[in-house]
Amino acid sequence: MKRRILSVLLCAAFAVSMLPGCGSDSSSADSSASSDSAASEDSQESDMQYVKDKGTLVVGITNFEPMDYKDESGEWVGFDADMAKAFAESLGVEAEFVEIDWDNKVLELDGKSIDCVWNGMTLTDEVTSAMECTNAYLNNAQVVVVPADVADQYQDTDSLSDLNFAVEAGSAGEEQVSALGLNYTAVTAQADALMEVEGGTCDAAVIDSLMASAMIGEGTSYEDLTYTIGLNSEEYGVGFRKGSDLAEELNNFFAESYADGSMQECAETYKVQAALIEQ
Amino acid sequence: MELILEQFPIVIQSLNIGFLQTLKLFFVTLLGAVPLGLIISFGSMSRFRPLSYLTKIIVWIVRGTPLMIQLLIIYYFPGLVLDNPIWGGGESGRFLAASVAFIFNYACYFSEIYRGGIQGVPKGQEEAGLVLGMTRSQIFFKVTLLQMIKRIVPPMSNEIITLVKDTSLARIIALQEIIWAGQAFLKGSQGISGAIWPLFFTAVYYLIFNGILTVLLGRLEKKLDYFR
Amino acid sequence: MAILEVEHLNKSFENIEVLKDISFTLEKGQVLSIIGSSGSGKTTLLRCLNFLERPGGGKIRVNGETLFDAADPATMQESQIRKKRLHFGLVFQSFNLFPQYTALENVMLAKELLAKAQPDYKARKKEIHAGIEAEAKELLVQMGLEDRMGNYPHQLSGGQCQRVAIARALALKPDILCFDEPTSALDPELTGEVLKVIKGLADQETTMIIVTHEMAFARDVSSQVIFMDDGRILEQGTPEKVFEHPEEERTKQFLSRFTQG
Repeated sequence: MKRRILSVLLCAAFAVSMLPGCGSDSSSADSSASSDSAASEDSQESDMQYVKDKGTLVVGITNFEPMDYKDESGEWVGFDADMAKAFAESLGVEAEFVEIDWDNKVLELDGKSIDCVWNGMTLTDEVTSAMECTNAYLNNAQVVVVPADVADQYQDTDSLSDLNFAVEAGSAGEEQVSALGLNYTAVTAQADALMEVEGGTCDAAVIDSLMASAMIGEGTSYEDLTYTIGLNSEEYGVGFRKGSDLAEELNNFFAESYADGSMQECAETYKVQAALIEQ
Repeated sequence: MELILEQFPIVIQSLNIGFLQTLKLFFVTLLGAVPLGLIISFGSMSRFRPLSYLTKIIVWIVRGTPLMIQLLIIYYFPGLVLDNPIWGGGESGRFLAASVAFIFNYACYFSEIYRGGIQGVPKGQEEAGLVLGMTRSQIFFKVTLLQMIKRIVPPMSNEIITLVKDTSLARIIALQEIIWAGQAFLKGSQGISGAIWPLFFTAVYYLIFNGILTVLLGRLEKKLDYFR
Repeated sequence: MAILEVEHLNKSFENIEVLKDISFTLEKGQVLSIIGSSGSGKTTLLRCLNFLERPGGGKIRVNGETLFDAADPATMQESQIRKKRLHFGLVFQSFNLFPQYTALENVMLAKELLAKAQPDYKARKKEIHAGIEAEAKELLVQMGLEDRMGNYPHQLSGGQCQRVAIARALALKPDILCFDEPTSALDPELTGEVLKVIKGLADQETTMIIVTHEMAFARDVSSQVIFMDDGRILEQGTPEKVFEHPEEERTKQFLSRFTQG
């Protein structure tokens, strides 16, 4: 008899432990309550309304100088971060920055743990098909990174055919090298691609030009690397959940900021004004 | 070399913060999984068949799938499928989701170790207690428990050391533990970018902490060496 | 009046009858030996008396009090069984000492736990503890273990372990002390010391039931012998009767193996 009672109690304990939400703190309980209401009339209610209701725009980022990075006081700054704060302010909500695993950006968006991806994201077909994207706001290129001492041998696309490349999986760089039919190894981050070249396990890497200018050369761990030719030109945009009305709202905001010069001003602060696209 | 010396204080501070998160996840997991594992082991040994089957199936699923997948499911499933992101996007929510995944995963591993420990104590011990007029709880606490603990300390030590290293898996849901912190300097953080060494330096933290744990667990094992 | 009366005891394990209609009585101060080949049900009988197995039918009475009656469910309540067990002591073949306690602690443990249930335990804690310890030490001295009290079981020989186990059973002052093949797990040269101790107890008129394969010992120490075969009592009586003049063919067969060997 006692055993029976114990068994029933255990069943109950299991049931409780299967409901992970039970133990969550008050803040997540709040957000779940508000999203409950959002969920019930999901199709009718707009994404903008959802964000306004909860009062925060959760911005998914990675640590990516000069777009999103932490200053000495630990605050998120950068061209993207500053623009995101301004956009959130225009909506009347707080911008909250959350570092995500770049591979999981679509998961994070669809899972509603973030509201947008705003992190120097190249507008590839993959990105535009999975997200509601804004107009392009910044130019970028994929550049070839090689050790500085052999850089003069690799100044045109034809010279690259013997090289073994390292690229970030799913990045615009990967798209480029595979389009050119080059040998490559996919790694988890652009920074890892650099490490492969530095360590000699790959001959060259393809990464963003904005990142390359910040990460290699004098004063970094990659003093003996340099970048040579650009494989393409590409553009950065901001991604929202598929079907979100926030993308259009941000397009308008970009246009206004460009018109009144505040966007250019912000770009100058982070030395990306040359790459800025007219809105 | 000079560069590293210059970066050292900044990097260490950042790694410390990451390691604090690693430790938090480690201790929370241990605190949750040790008792939950006991409950699960009782469940799998229950004479009430449906409960023992259910428990065994759960243990089979949890032990038979990668912890990384479990982390992804627990964190993203509510928002993706149920349209109810219960964890939220912030750091505390991610930590909570990681804790739930880790506690559940490790509780299942612990439960199997407990089961072995409990079943490894000879039946004669319980019978001797019964014949001496002891109650079942007296027998458990005064006779069986310590023998069970002695049996489970070596396999538990292995699991605990593994747990320390497994915490790094939580970075898949962007929990910023020490490896995440080390990797940040590759991309650029706090004015340091393209620095490789912080990532490798995280190994030193794991090594020292596991060294301390090994010594402590070894002492516990020694302490229980007085009987056989 | 007999101290122990067993009437028509039955026991089955999944349709296999291991005890068939067992009845016998035992007088206070007497020693009963149960002999018979392995699988004849001797150990199961002892385990039934100690409530480690529940008989399917029959009665067990101690000092006239009915401890077990298969027809009366009230006698099977879990809470009551614990008290009833204390009428019996059991010494196991494999000792079953608690490995994490010293010899002395093994003897004291159960008594201390029982004492805690006394209403005046808190007030007289020290006094009670000292009493239990003194009694336990005395028992161990009686077992010839005065210099082994602080040793853990793994530091003792098999014979010493079994003597600690006997002291542990005696500490609770059972009405009837049962032995389940107490020397079967011992090296031959160690059986003597254990048998000597049991003989000593018999001389002090301790009521005992001994399941054993030591025929010479059983003959020497017993006041009554039971020969069991296939779950039944086949032969019963004084050692002289059972060993010298067995009536049943099975008994003769069984005993001849020992005299030849």
